[in-house]
Amino acid sequence: MSPMSSRDAGSQARLDGEARATAADGVSARIPTRTVQRRIAYPVKQPFTWWTRRRGYLLYMLRELTAVGIAAWMLLFLVEIARARQGAGGYEPLGGPLFVAISLVCLALALWHSLTFLSLAGLFMRIPLGDRTVPPRLIGRAMFGALGVVTVVIASLLIWGGA
Amino acid sequence: MTHETITLSVTRFDPGQNNRPRLQGYEVPYRDDWVVLDALNWIKSHLDGSVTYRWSCRMGICGSCGMNVNGQPKLGCSAFLREYFPEPVVVEPMANFPIIRDLVVDMSSFMEKLRWVKPWIIRDETAVGPGEHRQTPAQVDQYRQFSMCINCMLCYSACPVIPIEPEFVGPAAIALARRYQLDSRDRGGQERLGTLTGSDAIWDCSFVGECSAVCPKGVDPAKAIQQTKFESTLGMLLPWGGQ
Repeated sequence: MSPMSSRDAGSQARLDGEARATAADGVSARIPTRTVQRRIAYPVKQPFTWWTRRRGYLLYMLRELTAVGIAAWMLLFLVEIARARQGAGGYEPLGGPLFVAISLVCLALALWHSLTFLSLAGLFMRIPLGDRTVPPRLIGRAMFGALGVVTVVIASLLIWGGA
Repeated sequence: MTHETITLSVTRFDPGQNNRPRLQGYEVPYRDDWVVLDALNWIKSHLDGSVTYRWSCRMGICGSCGMNVNGQPKLGCSAFLREYFPEPVVVEPMANFPIIRDLVVDMSSFMEKLRWVKPWIIRDETAVGPGEHRQTPAQVDQYRQFSMCINCMLCYSACPVIPIEPEFVGPAAIALARRYQLDSRDRGGQERLGTLTGSDAIWDCSFVGECSAVCPKGVDPAKAIQQTKFESTLGMLLPWGGQ
């Protein structure tokens, strides 16, 4: 192995914070130096308002916040189930314009969440088909088709099954 | 010859002199075929030789000149001044990395992470056999886009998870791991998947997706991460391991 060249030795010294010298017999010897500074990196913190810096960040935060609305409506639904368990006598289901408005907002949030998720299905699902894979667009369309079918089935059960 | 100028506000930080980074303004000639890197080189040649930044190829290949231009992660050699003129341009180091000096960041954490995911072909043989490992075009297409990564680290600058979870392996490393996962010559799938599904890897990603939006080479690290999540989930749920 060839001895370290003076240029390499200098580079290494800058990295290590100390200098190296190559002795005549090719053995590296460490010597102290006053000219080399230890590298100090400045740590950068993420500002609290990071999500306002790019449109993509903002859309991400909105997508994640839809879960809050969905969770709130589910809590409301659980409370209703608890009330209904006490018996039909005296039970009055939630209604009125305020409840309808809240439900519509929550429905919109749930739909937004579902649509953004399903539109990305083709991205994360990789289905091998021989040497190739199923096209992402086809997977996305299949997902939306499945959503439509499941919606119709559940709606039918609720409408005719309930009646 | 034009006499128009444009202002570049460049981050300056000397660890031996400053407690914190600051912005310093420079007036540079405006030319519509100049990129931010050209303007920085002009500053270094004519105004201030101490301005420090990384660069090499000037053609979007080497990935050395990653920086934040007006807050957006970009390659300095691909950010044309005409996109900003006549407004001033703020040039800062990439976010989410410690600053060593001016626009130069400490990338040692990235190098560690890259090594961790084993971005090379793993084979069973101890020695390379005679002949070639042939692939069909369709097999190459499986991983081609992930192999375009130039390690510029713009995706790390755009990822809001990194500052919260500094140990997160991150987008580029996972995209490169995925590149080898999809390579028909590779035999290290399970070994690498164990690493990727462990702590500080794919499950730290909350799918913001901006890593893919800022990639100058059209690589889609978000896709690589979500695909790995999906496949590892199938592997847990299905008896045949999602194969």
